[in-house]
Amino acid sequence: MSAPAGDPDVSPVRVLVADDDADIRDLVEFKLTQAGYAVEAVPDGISAWEAFAANPPQLAVLDVMMPGLSGIDVLRKIRESEFGTVPVLLLSAKSRDSDVDTGFAVGADDYVIKPFSPRELLHRVNGMLARAR
Amino acid sequence: MVGGALLIGATVAVLGGCLLLVVTVVVVRAARHSRTRRDQMLLSPLRAPLITVASGEDDDGSAAEQLTWATGVSRTVLDGNIVQLLTKIRGVPAEQLVRVLEVHGAVEAAVADLTHRSSVRRARAAQLLGLAQAGHTVPLLVEALRDESVEVRNSAAYALGLIGDAAAAGPVLAAIGLPDRGLPAATAAEALQSMGVGISEVLREGLGDENARTRMVAAHLSGQRSFTRGLPELRHLLDHDTDLTVRETCAAAIGRLGRGEDAAVLARHTLADEPLSLRRACVQALGELGDEGAVPTLAVLLDDPDPRLAELAASALIELGPEGSGALSGHEDDPAVRSARLMASLQKASA
Repeated sequence: MSAPAGDPDVSPVRVLVADDDADIRDLVEFKLTQAGYAVEAVPDGISAWEAFAANPPQLAVLDVMMPGLSGIDVLRKIRESEFGTVPVLLLSAKSRDSDVDTGFAVGADDYVIKPFSPRELLHRVNGMLARAR
Repeated sequence: MVGGALLIGATVAVLGGCLLLVVTVVVVRAARHSRTRRDQMLLSPLRAPLITVASGEDDDGSAAEQLTWATGVSRTVLDGNIVQLLTKIRGVPAEQLVRVLEVHGAVEAAVADLTHRSSVRRARAAQLLGLAQAGHTVPLLVEALRDESVEVRNSAAYALGLIGDAAAAGPVLAAIGLPDRGLPAATAAEALQSMGVGISEVLREGLGDENARTRMVAAHLSGQRSFTRGLPELRHLLDHDTDLTVRETCAAAIGRLGRGEDAAVLARHTLADEPLSLRRACVQALGELGDEGAVPTLAVLLDDPDPRLAELAASALIELGPEGSGALSGHEDDPAVRSARLMASLQKASA
């Protein structure tokens, strides 16, 4: 399944992916790139915030457990910034109800628990972007 | 002079030991780093097809086929990487990766490794079989629940949870109570959580097990999975079990899946002659049960000498809505009520 077709004169939708796990980072980047998104992938929370601040994407996929700034910390900073409405999907191995509650309470638009289906992740990203337009 | 020589000798020995320790740590880390770099180099040509398969973009199967061609040390490293990936992804990509493992003979080798003399190999074998959803190995994994090594037992339980075959529920629950080789209760609970509704009868039987930890896990999961058929047994255990933890767990389970008449059952055990921890558990369960019949019982407990119990009673009343909150009038300045209201407002703000 690919991203919704858009105007060929318009730049592809930019997505920021942050995960300290190289396997997850690479496969999510590959999946979204194949779907037509322009992906910037970073390995930690500090890089994620720096990348977001330098060039805000249309959507961010953040791992929760990252060294330095966690995904929750980055999300909090995003929500407090002038680009606070950017859709954010949290990706995490933390599956307790309290973890999910925290993610949504801080402002996540979606929360995907690992192990996850890459196909389902793409559907969720497509859906979030469609609703954001 | 002799003392001085001894002192110098001891100092040299200690410094020598420290130096040896530092050298050992450096050598081990260097070896690990070298091995990691070697693995990355070996995996490098296979990285692209691996990511293609793992991301679900291998529609024609060509990338998966490339992975099956790996041989020797590359194959071993690749298989290790695939096992790691299987803990992170699911669905068709995971199934494709499992097929690569099968072609490599890794699943077959894991079956053989279940009886390896090394407990590490046995544990890793069990993990791989679970991740590969090797349903045909359930009897072997059930056998591994009795392994002498707790790591192997844990790994076997984890694997049975991943495979999700309800036929393994009885052995997993029974493994908790094995003398000297018992399965940790939390490990068993996690494995059983992943099995389907077919385990309800197993849990019901587990409520009658002679081992208290087994009864506790059965009670906990009955509540978590809303298996109401065990309610009569849960009520009985709350009233009569000899183990306090079992009684507290039953109270929590009744709170989750009980009916209106269970308010009286729980209220009985909030009386002052009951153990404090049980009283607290029953008060919390009354709040969870959500029946307004509990309001009078909880209102009385606002004046309990135990501040924590009073706070739990106030929280339970708040949970019961207007009828419960009405019972708080006259107690607004009580520390327990103020604390309960603060917690409720914080939870509401974060929701």
